[in-house]
Amino acid sequence: MRITSAEVAALLLSIKVSLFSLVIMLPPGLLVGWLLAKHEFRGKSILNTLVMLPLVLPPVVSGYLLLILLSNNGPIGRLLSEIFNIEIIFTPFAVVIAISVISFPLLVRGILTGISSVPTELENAARTLGASPLKVFFTITLPLAHRGIIGGIILGFSKSLGEFGATIMVAGNIQGKTQTIALAIFNAVHLGQDITAFRLVLISTILAFISIWITERITISNNHI
Amino acid sequence: MNGNTGILISIRKRLGNFTLEVDCNIQEKVTAFLGASGSGKTTILNCISGTLSPDEGRIAFGNQIYYDSETNINVPPDKRRFGYVFQEGNLFPHLTVEKNIRYGQSRTNRKNRDSITQVVEILEITELLERYPNQLSGGQRQRVAIARALAMEPRLLLMDEPLASLDGGLKSRIIPYLHHIKNAYEIPIIYVTHAITEAMALADRAFLLDDGKVTTSGEPYQILASPSALPIAHLTGVENIFSLPVASSDKMKGITELEIGGQQLVIPYIDVEIGKMVPVAIRAEDIIISLEPDLPISARNILNGTVDEVDDQVMLSILVEGQRFSVKITHEARQQLQLDKGKNVYCVIKANAINLLWHDT
Repeated sequence: MRITSAEVAALLLSIKVSLFSLVIMLPPGLLVGWLLAKHEFRGKSILNTLVMLPLVLPPVVSGYLLLILLSNNGPIGRLLSEIFNIEIIFTPFAVVIAISVISFPLLVRGILTGISSVPTELENAARTLGASPLKVFFTITLPLAHRGIIGGIILGFSKSLGEFGATIMVAGNIQGKTQTIALAIFNAVHLGQDITAFRLVLISTILAFISIWITERITISNNHI
Repeated sequence: MNGNTGILISIRKRLGNFTLEVDCNIQEKVTAFLGASGSGKTTILNCISGTLSPDEGRIAFGNQIYYDSETNINVPPDKRRFGYVFQEGNLFPHLTVEKNIRYGQSRTNRKNRDSITQVVEILEITELLERYPNQLSGGQRQRVAIARALAMEPRLLLMDEPLASLDGGLKSRIIPYLHHIKNAYEIPIIYVTHAITEAMALADRAFLLDDGKVTTSGEPYQILASPSALPIAHLTGVENIFSLPVASSDKMKGITELEIGGQQLVIPYIDVEIGKMVPVAIRAEDIIISLEPDLPISARNILNGTVDEVDDQVMLSILVEGQRFSVKITHEARQQLQLDKGKNVYCVIKANAINLLWHDT
């Protein structure tokens, strides 16, 4: 009962796109989390609603909206294909976009909780000690918010690994190209390949287990805060 | 600008129903803003530090303007270089004591091992440098907070009730450190407190704040004599505070005599030059009223004075050589002794009931 190359490909693709999505979404996630946690500005509630929307929308709906935007007839898709000659739909990049949109609210939630927990008095104290707002962010806010931020990262990453609805809408289910582990499980069950399905479910469970374990390790390691 | 080296704080700030409106020109080295909680003390410091912007006015120190609503100047807090010691310390919990202290230092000083030696020694925190803030006691934490504000080499030191979170015994142990700092550093200090004793011990000048406005200003013990200071004195629990010169001191007998007009106030021995002023505090309930001077009792001090005022709160105000003593008595005692305005009385005080606020050794 050996793991097949298709299964390995699905697993690797899931990990790759999830990591890639995390890397590109973390900076905007930190920015949005910081803005929502520490600032008052016009349109704050609109920004909050927009960011959190994918959390409440059915993923299939988010996926459908993305499909309309990104297809060759859609406003963004047309621009990309005419100017750069790039097609996104049904490529691994479409997977990245789909899982990024779906996991972003979870990432921001964690960051927002973490940054909100940092007392403004400490940030003010750092300002009076000569630190610019940017230095305060990197030397005080970020380190003290690390629990929430790591929580958001793990939650977002796990969501990315298992995303199904939006991915299948914009990226399809192409084996070896856009078939992530969630899609592969769906495929296997659909085709009655119970053993394959069971193996993939087991791998997913182990991945989830590891991510929770890492979170715990990281949060416990610094006990001064 | 006639070579003005003072600090000008002329600001207005509304916060909800509360309005802070002060106009002070500070020339002294240590200035105290005295007031009950909610009187606007912290708001003043936040405006000076730049962490809060006033609605209008002007903040200047020497020739440098930090805030001016007319010309739209508002220097951000990180460019002001005003050291700020917060009531709760506000140490960074993820950094060691040493890293906390070095946080505000310039890049060159941060690499220089000796650059914090002086401040660390004055505040006696050398042993604590490797610890984290949650491994410190309240008093240690406050000393580190003071060291952190000093290590940045500030132009001005702002202190917001740095002793408020400490209990009585610890307070009196930190005050000498503050005195040391006052003498060791050339920077002006603005100190905010609700405790007259602290203001007496440290400040050269005090402003009494009530509901966002300055009601009185002057030397701290002068302020105490003003009627508006009474609520604050009660808050501190010490109603009688005087600054008196040393008349004589006898180490063998273990007593020091302070001069109060023509009379003497005996206190436990302190090692202070004759003629030096020392601030002392006496609680209103520690004074006994007698109609006779010659009593077979152990108390060392029997001061002659006259009743000046009697209020319903059974608080007597007695004038001894021009100094006002507040004395708490029972209603019965007042009737029995017929303590009315103008009556000649004797204030009996145990030497040990007289608390020394501070003295230079």
